[in-house]
Amino acid sequence: MSKSVRDILITCFLLAFGLAARPAFSWLPQFTGSSANIDRWDFTSFPVQWNLNPATGSNVSGSRDVHAVIAASFGTWLAAPNTTLGVTEGAQSIVGSEEQSASNVNLICFVCTDADFTKDNTTLAVTITTTADRAGLSDGHGGTAGFAGQIIKADIIFNPNITYTTGGTDGTDLQVVATHEIGHFFGLDHSAVVRAIMFPFAGDLTTLGYDDVAAISTVYPSMSQSFAPTSISGRVALPNGQGVFGAHVFAESTTGSLTIGGNLRKTPIGTITAPDGSYTIKGLPADIYTVSAEPLDDPVTKADINSYPSAFGQSSLQTNFTTRWH
Amino acid sequence: MKKTLAAILLFVAWSAQATMVKPMSVEELTSEASAVIEGQAVETWSSWNAVHSRIYTFTRVRVSKTLKGTPADTVVVKQLGGSADGYTQHVSGVRAMQTGEDALLFLRPSEAHDGTMVVVGLMQGHFRYSRDTKAGSTIVNNGVLGAEELQSNSRQVQPYRGSALTLAQLEARVKKAASRE
Repeated sequence: MSKSVRDILITCFLLAFGLAARPAFSWLPQFTGSSANIDRWDFTSFPVQWNLNPATGSNVSGSRDVHAVIAASFGTWLAAPNTTLGVTEGAQSIVGSEEQSASNVNLICFVCTDADFTKDNTTLAVTITTTADRAGLSDGHGGTAGFAGQIIKADIIFNPNITYTTGGTDGTDLQVVATHEIGHFFGLDHSAVVRAIMFPFAGDLTTLGYDDVAAISTVYPSMSQSFAPTSISGRVALPNGQGVFGAHVFAESTTGSLTIGGNLRKTPIGTITAPDGSYTIKGLPADIYTVSAEPLDDPVTKADINSYPSAFGQSSLQTNFTTRWH
Repeated sequence: MKKTLAAILLFVAWSAQATMVKPMSVEELTSEASAVIEGQAVETWSSWNAVHSRIYTFTRVRVSKTLKGTPADTVVVKQLGGSADGYTQHVSGVRAMQTGEDALLFLRPSEAHDGTMVVVGLMQGHFRYSRDTKAGSTIVNNGVLGAEELQSNSRQVQPYRGSALTLAQLEARVKKAASRE
Protein backbone atom coordinates (compact mmCIF):
# COMPACT_ATOMS: atom_id res chain seq x y z
CA MET A 1 0.00 0.00 0.00
CA SER A 2 0.99 3.57 -0.54
CA LYS A 3 2.95 5.21 2.19
CA SER A 4 1.92 8.63 1.06
CA VAL A 5 1.04 10.89 3.91
CA ARG A 6 -1.69 12.95 2.35
CA ASP A 7 -5.01 12.47 3.95
CA ILE A 8 -7.95 12.23 1.77
CA LEU A 9 -11.39 13.56 2.26
CA ILE A 10 -14.02 11.36 0.77
CA THR A 11 -17.26 13.11 0.19
CA CYS A 12 -19.63 10.24 -0.12
CA PHE A 13 -23.06 10.91 -1.42
CA LEU A 14 -24.64 7.58 -0.75
CA LEU A 15 -27.54 7.52 -3.08
CA ALA A 16 -29.73 4.53 -2.96
CA PHE A 17 -30.82 4.73 -6.55
CA GLY A 18 -28.79 6.20 -9.28
CA LEU A 19 -27.89 9.76 -10.25
CA ALA A 20 -24.88 8.91 -12.36
CA ALA A 21 -23.36 12.24 -13.35
CA ARG A 22 -20.05 11.21 -14.89
CA PRO A 23 -18.83 8.20 -16.77
CA ALA A 24 -17.35 6.07 -14.06
CA PHE A 25 -17.33 2.32 -14.21
CA SER A 26 -17.91 -0.28 -11.58
CA TRP A 27 -15.21 -2.42 -13.21
CA LEU A 28 -12.57 -1.71 -15.79
CA PRO A 29 -13.62 -1.71 -19.41
CA GLN A 30 -11.42 -1.44 -22.42
CA PHE A 31 -11.50 1.81 -24.33
CA THR A 32 -10.86 2.76 -27.91
CA GLY A 33 -9.61 6.19 -28.86
CA SER A 34 -9.26 9.27 -26.72
CA SER A 35 -12.81 9.33 -25.46
CA ALA A 36 -14.57 7.36 -22.82
CA ASN A 37 -16.26 5.06 -25.33
CA ILE A 38 -16.15 1.57 -23.95
CA ASP A 39 -15.47 -1.37 -26.20
CA ARG A 40 -18.40 -3.66 -26.85
CA TRP A 41 -20.00 -5.86 -29.45
CA ASP A 42 -23.17 -4.85 -31.25
CA PHE A 43 -24.99 -8.15 -31.44
CA THR A 44 -27.54 -6.71 -33.86
CA SER A 45 -25.12 -5.66 -36.59
CA PHE A 46 -23.79 -9.13 -37.49
CA PRO A 47 -23.86 -12.60 -35.94
CA VAL A 48 -21.22 -12.92 -33.25
CA GLN A 49 -19.92 -16.45 -32.99
CA TRP A 50 -16.97 -18.17 -31.43
CA ASN A 51 -15.09 -20.60 -33.61
CA LEU A 52 -13.04 -23.27 -31.92
CA ASN A 53 -10.21 -25.17 -33.44
CA PRO A 54 -10.46 -28.22 -31.18
CA ALA A 55 -7.03 -29.52 -32.09
CA THR A 56 -4.56 -29.61 -29.23
CA GLY A 57 -1.11 -30.89 -28.58
CA SER A 58 -0.14 -33.26 -25.81
CA ASN A 59 -0.07 -30.27 -23.48
CA VAL A 60 -3.82 -30.57 -22.93
CA SER A 61 -5.18 -33.53 -21.01
CA GLY A 62 -8.03 -34.39 -18.72
CA SER A 63 -11.47 -35.80 -18.38
CA ARG A 64 -13.23 -33.36 -20.71
CA ASP A 65 -12.54 -32.30 -24.26
CA VAL A 66 -11.62 -28.69 -24.86
CA HIS A 67 -14.92 -28.01 -26.57
CA ALA A 68 -16.79 -28.84 -23.40
CA VAL A 69 -14.54 -26.55 -21.39
CA ILE A 70 -14.85 -23.61 -23.76
CA ALA A 71 -18.61 -24.06 -24.05
CA ALA A 72 -18.92 -24.16 -20.26
CA SER A 73 -16.80 -21.03 -19.96
CA PHE A 74 -18.97 -19.12 -22.42
CA GLY A 75 -21.99 -20.51 -20.62
CA THR A 76 -20.80 -18.97 -17.37
CA TRP A 77 -20.96 -15.51 -18.92
CA LEU A 78 -24.17 -16.15 -20.85
CA ALA A 79 -25.87 -17.09 -17.58
CA ALA A 80 -24.99 -13.77 -15.94
CA PRO A 81 -28.12 -12.06 -14.60
CA ASN A 82 -29.46 -8.87 -16.16
CA THR A 83 -27.33 -9.52 -19.23
CA THR A 84 -27.99 -10.29 -22.87
CA LEU A 85 -25.09 -11.72 -24.81
CA GLY A 86 -25.93 -12.53 -28.40
CA VAL A 87 -23.05 -14.85 -29.02
CA THR A 88 -23.35 -18.40 -30.24
CA GLU A 89 -21.04 -21.19 -31.21
CA GLY A 90 -20.06 -21.10 -34.86
CA ALA A 91 -18.45 -23.59 -37.16
CA GLN A 92 -15.28 -25.15 -35.93
CA SER A 93 -12.01 -24.07 -37.46
CA ILE A 94 -9.00 -26.04 -38.61
CA VAL A 95 -6.53 -23.21 -39.07
CA GLY A 96 -3.17 -23.30 -37.32
CA SER A 97 -2.66 -19.58 -37.52
CA GLU A 98 -4.91 -16.58 -37.20
CA GLU A 99 -3.37 -15.35 -40.43
CA GLN A 100 -5.30 -18.13 -42.20
CA SER A 101 -8.55 -17.21 -40.54
CA ALA A 102 -11.28 -15.08 -42.10
CA SER A 103 -12.05 -11.68 -40.63
CA ASN A 104 -15.47 -12.83 -39.47
CA VAL A 105 -14.06 -15.75 -37.48
CA ASN A 106 -13.46 -15.31 -33.75
CA LEU A 107 -10.86 -17.96 -33.37
CA ILE A 108 -10.18 -19.95 -30.22
CA CYS A 109 -7.04 -21.91 -30.81
CA PHE A 110 -4.65 -24.17 -28.95
CA VAL A 111 -2.22 -24.84 -31.78
CA CYS A 112 -1.84 -21.44 -33.39
CA THR A 113 1.64 -20.26 -34.04
CA ASP A 114 1.27 -16.52 -34.52
CA ALA A 115 1.50 -15.28 -30.94
CA ASP A 116 5.27 -15.64 -30.52
CA PHE A 117 4.95 -18.35 -27.88
CA THR A 118 7.92 -20.29 -29.21
CA LYS A 119 10.20 -19.59 -26.28
CA ASP A 120 7.50 -18.57 -23.85
CA ASN A 121 6.32 -20.98 -21.21
CA THR A 122 4.93 -18.32 -18.90
CA THR A 123 2.15 -16.69 -20.89
CA LEU A 124 -0.93 -18.86 -20.54
CA ALA A 125 -3.10 -17.28 -23.21
CA VAL A 126 -3.78 -14.00 -24.95
CA THR A 127 -7.04 -12.47 -26.08
CA ILE A 128 -6.84 -9.97 -28.91
CA THR A 129 -9.90 -7.83 -29.53
CA THR A 130 -10.14 -5.68 -32.64
CA THR A 131 -12.23 -2.53 -32.51
CA ALA A 132 -13.09 0.18 -34.99
CA ASP A 133 -11.78 3.59 -34.01
CA ARG A 134 -14.79 5.34 -35.56
CA ALA A 135 -18.13 4.63 -37.15
CA GLY A 136 -18.28 3.86 -40.85
CA LEU A 137 -15.23 1.64 -41.09
CA SER A 138 -15.57 -1.85 -42.47
CA ASP A 139 -16.65 -4.29 -39.80
CA GLY A 140 -15.18 -7.30 -41.58
CA HIS A 141 -18.64 -8.79 -41.94
CA GLY A 142 -19.77 -6.96 -45.06
CA GLY A 143 -21.03 -3.90 -43.22
CA THR A 144 -19.66 -0.92 -41.37
CA ALA A 145 -19.01 -0.23 -37.73
CA GLY A 146 -21.74 1.71 -36.00
CA PHE A 147 -19.65 3.41 -33.32
CA ALA A 148 -16.14 3.94 -32.05
CA GLY A 149 -15.11 1.03 -29.89
CA GLN A 150 -17.32 -1.52 -31.61
CA ILE A 151 -15.64 -4.88 -31.30
CA ILE A 152 -15.54 -6.54 -34.70
CA LYS A 153 -13.29 -9.50 -33.92
CA ALA A 154 -11.81 -11.32 -30.93
CA ASP A 155 -9.38 -14.19 -30.86
CA ILE A 156 -8.21 -16.26 -27.91
CA ILE A 157 -4.90 -17.99 -28.37
CA PHE A 158 -3.75 -20.50 -25.77
CA ASN A 159 -0.04 -21.08 -25.38
CA PRO A 160 0.78 -24.58 -26.62
CA ASN A 161 3.78 -24.66 -24.27
CA ILE A 162 1.56 -24.66 -21.18
CA THR A 163 0.34 -27.89 -19.62
CA TYR A 164 -3.43 -27.60 -19.29
CA THR A 165 -5.90 -29.85 -17.56
CA THR A 166 -9.55 -30.13 -18.36
CA GLY A 167 -10.08 -32.07 -15.14
CA GLY A 168 -8.45 -34.84 -13.17
CA THR A 169 -4.89 -34.37 -14.35
CA ASP A 170 -2.01 -32.11 -13.41
CA GLY A 171 -1.71 -28.77 -15.04
CA THR A 172 -3.24 -25.34 -15.24
CA ASP A 173 -7.04 -25.47 -15.05
CA LEU A 174 -8.18 -24.64 -18.56
CA GLN A 175 -11.62 -23.44 -17.51
CA VAL A 176 -10.15 -20.85 -15.13
CA VAL A 177 -8.07 -19.34 -17.90
CA ALA A 178 -10.82 -19.64 -20.51
CA THR A 179 -13.44 -17.92 -18.35
CA HIS A 180 -11.09 -15.02 -17.67
CA GLU A 181 -10.11 -14.70 -21.32
CA ILE A 182 -13.73 -14.80 -22.45
CA GLY A 183 -14.33 -11.77 -20.24
CA HIS A 184 -11.81 -10.01 -22.46
CA PHE A 185 -13.58 -11.43 -25.52
CA PHE A 186 -16.58 -9.36 -24.42
CA GLY A 187 -14.43 -6.25 -23.98
CA LEU A 188 -13.83 -6.30 -20.26
CA ASP A 189 -10.48 -5.25 -18.90
CA HIS A 190 -9.20 -6.17 -15.48
CA SER A 191 -11.07 -5.56 -12.29
CA ALA A 192 -9.32 -4.30 -9.19
CA VAL A 193 -11.70 -6.32 -7.04
CA VAL A 194 -10.14 -9.38 -5.55
CA ARG A 195 -12.14 -12.54 -6.31
CA ALA A 196 -13.65 -11.11 -9.46
CA ILE A 197 -12.99 -13.44 -12.38
CA MET A 198 -11.49 -10.40 -14.13
CA PHE A 199 -9.08 -9.68 -11.29
CA PRO A 200 -5.68 -10.04 -12.92
CA PHE A 201 -4.46 -12.43 -10.27
CA ALA A 202 -7.44 -14.63 -10.73
CA GLY A 203 -7.49 -17.63 -8.48
CA ASP A 204 -8.89 -21.05 -9.07
CA LEU A 205 -12.30 -19.60 -9.79
CA THR A 206 -14.63 -20.44 -12.63
CA THR A 207 -17.72 -18.61 -11.44
CA LEU A 208 -18.52 -14.93 -11.72
CA GLY A 209 -18.35 -12.53 -8.83
CA TYR A 210 -20.78 -9.69 -8.30
CA ASP A 211 -18.25 -7.28 -9.79
CA ASP A 212 -18.14 -9.35 -12.98
CA VAL A 213 -21.93 -9.29 -13.11
CA ALA A 214 -21.92 -5.52 -12.67
CA ALA A 215 -19.47 -5.29 -15.56
CA ILE A 216 -21.14 -7.52 -18.08
CA SER A 217 -24.68 -6.38 -17.24
CA THR A 218 -23.72 -2.73 -17.61
CA VAL A 219 -22.11 -3.22 -21.01
CA TYR A 220 -24.76 -5.63 -22.26
CA PRO A 221 -27.92 -4.90 -20.27
CA SER A 222 -30.95 -7.12 -20.54
CA MET A 223 -34.49 -5.85 -20.91
CA SER A 224 -35.62 -8.40 -18.37
CA GLN A 225 -33.89 -8.15 -15.03
CA SER A 226 -33.63 -10.78 -12.35
CA PHE A 227 -32.69 -8.16 -9.77
CA ALA A 228 -33.09 -4.38 -9.67
CA PRO A 229 -29.64 -2.83 -9.80
CA THR A 230 -28.93 0.22 -7.72
CA SER A 231 -25.95 2.54 -7.61
CA ILE A 232 -23.86 4.61 -5.24
CA SER A 233 -22.39 7.94 -6.30
CA GLY A 234 -19.93 10.23 -4.62
CA ARG A 235 -16.67 12.09 -4.98
CA VAL A 236 -13.12 11.44 -3.79
CA ALA A 237 -11.15 14.59 -3.01
CA LEU A 238 -8.03 15.75 -1.24
CA PRO A 239 -8.40 18.06 1.77
CA ASN A 240 -7.91 21.04 -0.52
CA GLY A 241 -10.95 19.99 -2.49
CA GLN A 242 -9.08 18.77 -5.52
CA GLY A 243 -10.72 15.71 -7.01
CA VAL A 244 -8.71 12.51 -7.16
CA PHE A 245 -8.58 10.89 -10.57
CA GLY A 246 -8.19 7.16 -10.78
CA ALA A 247 -8.99 6.19 -7.21
CA HIS A 248 -10.34 2.67 -6.88
CA VAL A 249 -13.66 2.97 -5.04
CA PHE A 250 -15.54 -0.13 -4.09
CA ALA A 251 -18.69 -1.03 -2.22
CA GLU A 252 -18.54 -4.02 0.05
CA SER A 253 -21.62 -5.54 1.58
CA THR A 254 -21.80 -5.55 5.33
CA THR A 255 -24.24 -8.45 5.27
CA GLY A 256 -23.35 -12.02 4.61
CA SER A 257 -26.36 -12.96 2.61
CA LEU A 258 -26.32 -13.56 -1.13
CA THR A 259 -28.52 -10.99 -2.76
CA ILE A 260 -28.37 -12.29 -6.32
CA GLY A 261 -29.42 -15.79 -7.16
CA GLY A 262 -27.45 -18.18 -9.32
CA ASN A 263 -23.99 -19.64 -9.19
CA LEU A 264 -22.28 -16.40 -8.24
CA ARG A 265 -19.84 -15.27 -5.61
CA LYS A 266 -20.43 -12.23 -3.46
CA THR A 267 -17.62 -9.77 -4.04
CA PRO A 268 -17.17 -6.05 -3.65
CA ILE A 269 -18.14 -4.04 -6.69
CA GLY A 270 -15.76 -1.33 -7.69
CA THR A 271 -15.18 1.62 -9.93
CA ILE A 272 -12.51 4.12 -10.83
CA THR A 273 -13.04 7.82 -10.25
CA ALA A 274 -13.37 10.32 -13.08
CA PRO A 275 -10.97 13.29 -13.42
CA ASP A 276 -13.02 15.42 -10.99
CA GLY A 277 -13.03 12.62 -8.43
CA SER A 278 -16.63 11.67 -9.00
CA TYR A 279 -17.75 8.10 -9.20
CA THR A 280 -20.83 5.98 -9.61
CA ILE A 281 -20.75 2.34 -8.66
CA LYS A 282 -23.37 0.68 -10.80
CA GLY A 283 -24.99 -2.71 -10.85
CA LEU A 284 -25.34 -3.06 -7.08
CA PRO A 285 -27.96 -5.39 -5.70
CA ALA A 286 -29.96 -3.82 -2.90
CA ASP A 287 -27.93 -4.29 0.29
CA ILE A 288 -26.03 -2.38 2.97
CA TYR A 289 -22.53 -1.33 1.91
CA THR A 290 -19.32 0.15 3.18
CA VAL A 291 -17.67 2.33 0.55
CA SER A 292 -13.88 2.51 0.43
CA ALA A 293 -11.42 4.44 -1.69
CA GLU A 294 -7.88 3.27 -2.24
CA PRO A 295 -4.98 4.04 -4.56
CA LEU A 296 -4.39 1.68 -7.46
CA ASP A 297 -0.89 0.81 -6.36
CA ASP A 298 -1.03 -2.90 -5.63
CA PRO A 299 -1.55 -5.53 -6.92
CA VAL A 300 -3.51 -3.93 -9.73
CA THR A 301 -1.69 -0.76 -10.63
CA LYS A 302 -2.29 2.18 -12.87
CA ALA A 303 0.01 0.51 -15.37
CA ASP A 304 -2.53 -2.25 -15.79
CA ILE A 305 -5.24 0.06 -17.04
CA ASN A 306 -3.21 2.42 -19.14
CA SER A 307 -6.09 3.06 -21.54
CA TYR A 308 -8.15 4.59 -18.76
CA PRO A 309 -6.30 7.93 -18.32
CA SER A 310 -6.18 8.65 -22.05
CA ALA A 311 -9.89 7.94 -22.34
CA PHE A 312 -10.41 10.90 -20.04
CA GLY A 313 -7.70 13.07 -21.54
CA GLN A 314 -5.41 12.54 -18.57
CA SER A 315 -1.79 11.45 -18.48
CA SER A 316 -1.90 9.29 -15.38
CA LEU A 317 -3.92 8.16 -12.40
CA GLN A 318 -3.35 9.58 -8.93
CA THR A 319 -2.08 7.33 -6.18
CA ASN A 320 -0.91 10.01 -3.75
CA PHE A 321 -3.34 9.21 -0.98
CA THR A 322 -4.07 6.54 1.54
CA THR A 323 -7.00 4.18 1.84
CA ARG A 324 -10.14 5.50 3.53
CA TRP A 325 -13.57 4.07 3.98
CA HIS A 326 -16.95 5.30 5.13
CA MET B 1 -5.94 -2.35 -1.42
CA LYS B 2 -5.56 -4.03 1.93
CA LYS B 3 -9.27 -4.22 2.51
CA THR B 4 -9.90 -6.09 -0.67
CA LEU B 5 -6.80 -8.16 -0.22
CA ALA B 6 -8.05 -9.25 3.15
CA ALA B 7 -10.91 -10.95 1.43
CA ILE B 8 -8.79 -13.22 -0.65
CA LEU B 9 -8.22 -16.79 0.28
CA LEU B 10 -5.71 -17.81 -2.28
CA PHE B 11 -3.99 -16.36 -5.21
CA VAL B 12 -3.29 -18.82 -7.90
CA ALA B 13 -0.03 -20.17 -9.17
CA TRP B 14 0.05 -17.53 -11.83
CA SER B 15 -0.30 -13.86 -11.86
CA ALA B 16 -2.07 -12.50 -14.81
CA GLN B 17 -2.70 -9.40 -16.77
CA ALA B 18 -5.61 -10.16 -18.99
CA THR B 19 -3.71 -12.36 -20.72
CA MET B 20 -2.58 -14.68 -18.03
CA VAL B 21 1.00 -15.37 -17.23
CA LYS B 22 2.89 -17.48 -14.77
CA PRO B 23 5.02 -15.42 -12.41
CA MET B 24 8.73 -15.33 -13.07
CA SER B 25 11.43 -14.41 -10.60
CA VAL B 26 14.10 -11.88 -11.50
CA GLU B 27 16.50 -14.77 -11.86
CA GLU B 28 14.19 -16.60 -14.25
CA LEU B 29 13.63 -13.45 -16.24
CA THR B 30 17.38 -12.99 -16.48
CA SER B 31 17.88 -16.55 -17.62
CA GLU B 32 15.24 -16.27 -20.34
CA ALA B 33 16.48 -12.89 -21.57
CA SER B 34 19.25 -12.51 -24.09
CA ALA B 35 19.59 -8.88 -23.10
CA VAL B 36 18.71 -6.93 -19.96
CA ILE B 37 18.86 -3.20 -20.44
CA GLU B 38 17.96 0.10 -18.92
CA GLY B 39 16.87 2.80 -21.28
CA GLN B 40 14.38 5.39 -22.41
CA ALA B 41 11.66 5.10 -25.04
CA VAL B 42 12.39 7.67 -27.70
CA GLU B 43 9.88 6.72 -30.40
CA THR B 44 6.79 4.56 -30.69
CA TRP B 45 4.65 3.55 -33.66
CA SER B 46 2.10 0.90 -34.54
CA SER B 47 1.35 -0.93 -37.77
CA TRP B 48 -0.41 -3.97 -39.16
CA ASN B 49 1.62 -7.00 -40.05
CA ALA B 50 2.03 -7.95 -43.69
CA VAL B 51 -1.11 -10.07 -43.86
CA HIS B 52 -3.19 -7.51 -41.97
CA SER B 53 -4.09 -9.85 -39.16
CA ARG B 54 -2.24 -8.30 -36.23
CA ILE B 55 -1.32 -4.80 -35.10
CA TYR B 56 2.02 -4.45 -33.37
CA THR B 57 3.40 -1.50 -31.44
CA PHE B 58 7.09 -0.80 -31.80
CA THR B 59 9.15 1.22 -29.36
CA ARG B 60 12.65 2.44 -30.05
CA VAL B 61 14.58 2.39 -26.79
CA ARG B 62 17.84 4.24 -26.29
CA VAL B 63 19.99 1.99 -24.12
CA SER B 64 21.65 3.74 -21.18
CA LYS B 65 22.92 0.69 -19.32
CA THR B 66 23.38 -2.97 -20.22
CA LEU B 67 23.10 -5.58 -17.48
CA LYS B 68 23.23 -8.63 -19.72
CA GLY B 69 24.06 -9.28 -23.36
CA THR B 70 25.48 -7.03 -26.01
CA PRO B 71 22.58 -5.04 -27.43
CA ALA B 72 23.06 -2.12 -29.79
CA ASP B 73 22.82 1.48 -28.59
CA THR B 74 19.16 1.44 -29.52
CA VAL B 75 16.79 -1.52 -29.67
CA VAL B 76 13.29 -1.81 -31.09
CA VAL B 77 10.82 -3.53 -28.79
CA LYS B 78 7.83 -5.18 -30.48
CA GLN B 79 4.56 -5.67 -28.57
CA LEU B 80 1.24 -7.14 -29.63
CA GLY B 81 -1.60 -4.62 -29.94
CA GLY B 82 -1.95 -0.98 -30.83
CA SER B 83 -3.82 1.31 -33.21
CA ALA B 84 -3.31 1.58 -36.97
CA ASP B 85 -5.40 2.68 -39.96
CA GLY B 86 -8.58 3.24 -38.00
CA TYR B 87 -8.53 0.06 -35.96
CA THR B 88 -7.31 -0.85 -32.50
CA GLN B 89 -6.26 -4.23 -31.19
CA HIS B 90 -6.33 -4.61 -27.43
CA VAL B 91 -4.35 -7.15 -25.51
CA SER B 92 -5.13 -6.34 -21.92
CA GLY B 93 -2.06 -6.32 -19.77
CA VAL B 94 0.39 -5.64 -22.54
CA ARG B 95 1.85 -2.32 -21.55
CA ALA B 96 2.99 -0.26 -24.45
CA MET B 97 5.80 2.07 -23.49
CA GLN B 98 5.25 5.80 -23.63
CA THR B 99 7.74 8.09 -25.33
CA GLY B 100 10.09 9.44 -22.68
CA GLU B 101 9.43 6.55 -20.32
CA ASP B 102 12.40 5.04 -18.52
CA ALA B 103 12.39 1.31 -17.95
CA LEU B 104 14.44 -1.75 -17.22
CA LEU B 105 13.67 -4.42 -19.80
CA PHE B 106 14.29 -8.14 -20.06
CA LEU B 107 14.38 -8.85 -23.78
CA ARG B 108 14.77 -11.67 -26.25
CA PRO B 109 14.78 -11.63 -30.05
CA SER B 110 11.40 -11.81 -31.76
CA GLU B 111 10.62 -15.16 -33.34
CA ALA B 112 9.80 -13.24 -36.50
CA HIS B 113 13.53 -12.70 -36.96
CA ASP B 114 12.82 -9.13 -37.97
CA GLY B 115 15.50 -7.57 -35.81
CA THR B 116 13.08 -6.55 -33.08
CA MET B 117 13.07 -7.65 -29.46
CA VAL B 118 10.17 -8.81 -27.32
CA VAL B 119 9.66 -8.48 -23.59
CA VAL B 120 10.24 -11.72 -21.67
CA GLY B 121 7.15 -12.96 -19.85
CA LEU B 122 4.88 -10.59 -21.75
CA MET B 123 4.76 -7.70 -19.28
CA GLN B 124 6.75 -9.20 -16.43
CA GLY B 125 10.02 -8.27 -18.05
CA HIS B 126 9.02 -4.60 -18.19
CA PHE B 127 9.94 -2.78 -14.99
CA ARG B 128 8.76 0.79 -14.75
CA TYR B 129 10.39 3.39 -12.55
CA SER B 130 8.87 5.46 -9.80
CA ARG B 131 10.48 7.73 -7.26
CA ASP B 132 10.27 7.01 -3.54
CA THR B 133 10.63 10.57 -2.31
CA LYS B 134 10.74 9.48 1.31
CA ALA B 135 13.62 7.08 0.85
CA GLY B 136 15.18 9.01 -2.00
CA SER B 137 15.48 5.94 -4.16
CA THR B 138 14.13 4.74 -7.47
CA ILE B 139 11.57 1.96 -7.17
CA VAL B 140 11.05 -0.46 -10.02
CA ASN B 141 7.83 -2.33 -10.52
CA ASN B 142 6.64 -4.79 -13.11
CA GLY B 143 3.07 -4.43 -11.94
CA VAL B 144 2.73 -7.75 -10.22
CA LEU B 145 3.43 -6.56 -6.71
CA GLY B 146 1.85 -8.08 -3.70
CA ALA B 147 0.84 -11.28 -5.35
CA GLU B 148 1.12 -14.61 -3.71
CA GLU B 149 1.43 -17.85 -5.50
CA LEU B 150 -0.07 -21.18 -4.76
CA GLN B 151 2.58 -23.87 -4.90
CA SER B 152 0.98 -26.54 -7.02
CA ASN B 153 2.76 -29.38 -5.27
CA SER B 154 2.54 -28.38 -1.63
CA ARG B 155 -0.62 -26.25 -1.94
CA GLN B 156 1.21 -23.69 0.22
CA VAL B 157 0.67 -20.02 -0.41
CA GLN B 158 3.89 -18.06 -0.50
CA PRO B 159 4.78 -14.52 -1.42
CA TYR B 160 5.48 -14.11 -5.07
CA ARG B 161 8.97 -12.78 -5.38
CA GLY B 162 8.94 -10.61 -8.41
CA SER B 163 7.78 -7.51 -6.83
CA ALA B 164 8.83 -4.06 -5.66
CA LEU B 165 12.53 -3.51 -5.61
CA THR B 166 14.78 -0.56 -5.70
CA LEU B 167 16.57 -0.13 -8.98
CA ALA B 168 19.85 -0.87 -7.25
CA GLN B 169 18.49 -4.12 -5.81
CA LEU B 170 17.16 -5.23 -9.17
CA GLU B 171 20.41 -4.42 -10.92
CA ALA B 172 22.33 -6.43 -8.35
CA ARG B 173 20.09 -9.47 -8.74
CA VAL B 174 20.27 -9.36 -12.51
CA LYS B 175 24.05 -9.09 -12.51
CA LYS B 176 24.37 -11.92 -10.03
CA ALA B 177 22.05 -14.16 -12.02
CA ALA B 178 23.80 -13.32 -15.27
CA SER B 179 27.21 -14.05 -13.81
CA ARG B 180 26.13 -17.60 -13.02
CA GLU B 181 25.30 -18.40 -16.64
